[in-house]
Amino acid sequence: MATENPNADGFGEVSRVRGILFEYLSFGASVFGLVALGVLLVYVAIDAFDLANASPEWLLTYFLTLVVPFLAFCLYSANDRDVTRRALVALGGGLVAVAVLFSAIEALLVPIPRLNWQLAYLFVVAAPVTAYLAYVGSRGRLGAVGFGLLGRLVGGVAVGLAVGTLFLVLDALLWFLAYTIGVLPAVGLYALGRVRSSPRARTAAAPVGLVGLTAAVFLRDVVATYPSDLIIYLWTIAIPVAAAGAFLVAGRRGRTAGAVVGGVPLAAATAGGFLAAGAGLPAPTVLLAIVLTGVPTAVYVSRVVDGGEGLAGLGLPLLLAAGAIAGALIVEALGVPAPNPWLDASFLTQAPSRTPEQAGLYPAIVGSVIIIAMVAVLSFALGVGTSVFLEEYTPESGALGTLTRILQVNIANLAAVPSVVYGLLGLGLFANLLGLGIGTAVTAALTLSLLILPITIISAQEAIRSVPDDLRRGSDAMGATRWQTTKNVVLPEAMPGILTGTILALGRAIGETAPLIMIGAATTVFRAPDSLFSRFSAMPMQIYTWAGFPQADFRYGVVAAGVITLLIILVGMNGTAILLRNRAERGS
Amino acid sequence: MSNSTTDDSLITTEVQTDSNDGRAAPAAGTAVAARDLDVFYGDEQAIDDVTMEIPEKRVTALIGPSGCGKSTFLRCINRMNDMIEICRVEGDVEFGGKNVYDDDVDPVALRRKIGMVFQKPNPFPKSIRDNVAYGLKIQDFDGDVDARVEESLKGAALWDEVKDQLDSSGLELSGGQQQRLCIARAIAPDPEVILMDEPTSALDPVAASKIEDLIDDLAEEYTVIIVTHNMQQAARISDRTAVFLTGGELVEYDDTAKIFEDPEEQRVEDYITGKFG
Ligand SMILES: Nc1ncnc2c1ncn2[C@@H]1O[C@H](COP(=O)(O)OP(=O)(O)O)[C@@H](O)[C@H]1O
Ligand SMILES: [Mg+2]
Repeated sequence: MATENPNADGFGEVSRVRGILFEYLSFGASVFGLVALGVLLVYVAIDAFDLANASPEWLLTYFLTLVVPFLAFCLYSANDRDVTRRALVALGGGLVAVAVLFSAIEALLVPIPRLNWQLAYLFVVAAPVTAYLAYVGSRGRLGAVGFGLLGRLVGGVAVGLAVGTLFLVLDALLWFLAYTIGVLPAVGLYALGRVRSSPRARTAAAPVGLVGLTAAVFLRDVVATYPSDLIIYLWTIAIPVAAAGAFLVAGRRGRTAGAVVGGVPLAAATAGGFLAAGAGLPAPTVLLAIVLTGVPTAVYVSRVVDGGEGLAGLGLPLLLAAGAIAGALIVEALGVPAPNPWLDASFLTQAPSRTPEQAGLYPAIVGSVIIIAMVAVLSFALGVGTSVFLEEYTPESGALGTLTRILQVNIANLAAVPSVVYGLLGLGLFANLLGLGIGTAVTAALTLSLLILPITIISAQEAIRSVPDDLRRGSDAMGATRWQTTKNVVLPEAMPGILTGTILALGRAIGETAPLIMIGAATTVFRAPDSLFSRFSAMPMQIYTWAGFPQADFRYGVVAAGVITLLIILVGMNGTAILLRNRAERGS
Repeated sequence: MSNSTTDDSLITTEVQTDSNDGRAAPAAGTAVAARDLDVFYGDEQAIDDVTMEIPEKRVTALIGPSGCGKSTFLRCINRMNDMIEICRVEGDVEFGGKNVYDDDVDPVALRRKIGMVFQKPNPFPKSIRDNVAYGLKIQDFDGDVDARVEESLKGAALWDEVKDQLDSSGLELSGGQQQRLCIARAIAPDPEVILMDEPTSALDPVAASKIEDLIDDLAEEYTVIIVTHNMQQAARISDRTAVFLTGGELVEYDDTAKIFEDPEEQRVEDYITGKFG
């Protein structure tokens, strides 16, 4: 039979050359881009932390006290022999390979500026291997607990600082009144409505809250006494947060545990707040940072202790702190030359200065954080509102349908308008016409919101469109109104996608300089903004200004420190938003 | 469930014995009635002058080749056709003696009295509990939600399988369980009529037969109107059968036994014996 088979010689061959060529070209292009970016970041980091002046002894000390214990923790948590072997081969082999390669290049080809093989090893081998092992280790039981605790500690401090920063410009007294006579009664009524399952109390919550908020605005100008800042934050933020934590734990582990979880951090925060004033620190910020770190940490620890698994992981923060202290002590004792980083505590807390050593980014950080917070809220609310209207409420045909299509095309075009043009619009519309002031924080926030609005709208529309029609029909058939379907089915399902779009758009807004220049934002301010209408500067503006200074220390060291700060804040904000999004994803 | 078109009479005789337990065909009141109903999608007519009365607390099956307007007819009853912009309805659909296409009828309020189950199970990406409680939530139900959830899940023969996982997502259930969850969701607000559009066609035979048993029980309390293109299914579970043929014409509507044993129309006989359609 087989002899008659016309395919006895096989089926011939189909050329794949073009496909393979394309594959390697695109692979090469992306690798080139990534490597270029990586090299840039390495040099920026070397400048910011003055690593070029770090002696090998200094690097070795911290490697042994900080990095090695951390790696050991990750490997122990991963508990996988293969991973351990691979990590050791990478670290050991990398050490030899980098040293040989580096010496060879230096000796035979060209000297590599401001880089030695120890630093090359640090960036090329140690840092990636550490990151990989942190990832692998965090998936083990022990690591999950350790990194969870670390995340709450760092995240709590960051959120506390951010909230404290926001209150530099937001009116604390207004918030105090609004919370006391608006938010609190509304939330109370709503909770009561849920517990007693009485819809009337639940429906009453919103109007009661609104009336309270309005009353607060009027009362603001009437009330003469001002409770101290500390009391305001204690009453409006610390106590509710502690109560929420206590409530969470009390439900599972009983009243006493709940009281401890809520009470201890609250007491510590209050004490910290009162002591901070004496130490010359901003009391409200200290209070917020402690309570927002303490309560989530306490809830987390209580949960882990309850679960009884991976308890040793709780030691990770201690391990790292001990490593850092031990390293510092050894370096001090041996007297090895330590680098003098540009990016240090004083850089983050000082105002700009004429001398590079004293230059700081604080006012610009505050300006950026405030603007981004406002942009996030504004563009999210406007973006979701517009996209829900366009996707769920407008018909496809008829006059309104045509109008919608015209709107749609224009929104897509707006996304492509250069940002300078938005700056001009902000200058004309917000600064001049509405009189919000040239170079003020509100003007900047409104302008940037407008700038990223098309992107948020389009991505939110995309997310809403991807919700299956089956679900909408299911809800409609239950007798849900259009709004009920949107609120209960469409928005929860689309939320992860909407958040992804907003996160990407915010990333763009935080780095924008051109529109800020157009609306007259200051290049340098020496005091952090203290109201929405005060003049401000933003991180990218300040960095840009420094880059133009004649002194080399500014152009290299200070700019690099600024860039790293900007990147860290950006990554931190995106990371938080991504965590929130993942939670939304899991919740559905 | 072997399908051989030649021994239909055998199937129907079998049917007669195990279905319709005690529910004698007529004598019930009318739940839904269509009068001179025409439906158009743009210029294309999908329902052509249909008049029929659907009895209360009975299972009425709508059968016919695909594209003959069964789903369209079903959607007229709870006005889901309103969502389709090009759809135009003429004539009356009476529900509880009232024409649902009257100007003073709020379609949203109407749908709260009529449950609907779709071809593809479409539970919401929420917990099982929230899925069942959905209708109660949107109607601001005052009573004991948990009790109602339990009752509805029992009514949908799903309670025993999910009672320990009410807080896990409805999407984690199997296809057949999801469809029963959708039935539980539909009956939770205690509607009067349940519309089902090919509720078993996306399921495997075992899951489908569970739903069929369930439909039989549902007819104790609710008026069930079910679209199916599976003739054995119609024969097994329904009391009355309406046969639609291409063009949206209601060709014959009678007791199920009569339709399957001795149809008046030659076209109906051809259709159910598989000669066309
Ligand atoms: N949304 C719609 N838009 C336009 N035509 C439709 C739509 N839905 C159904 N039709 C048309 O109406 C006719 C009946 O469809 P349908 O009621 O879905 O039939 P069945 O459920 O019996 O298969 C078909 O010709 C179909 O093309
Ligand atoms: Mg159909």
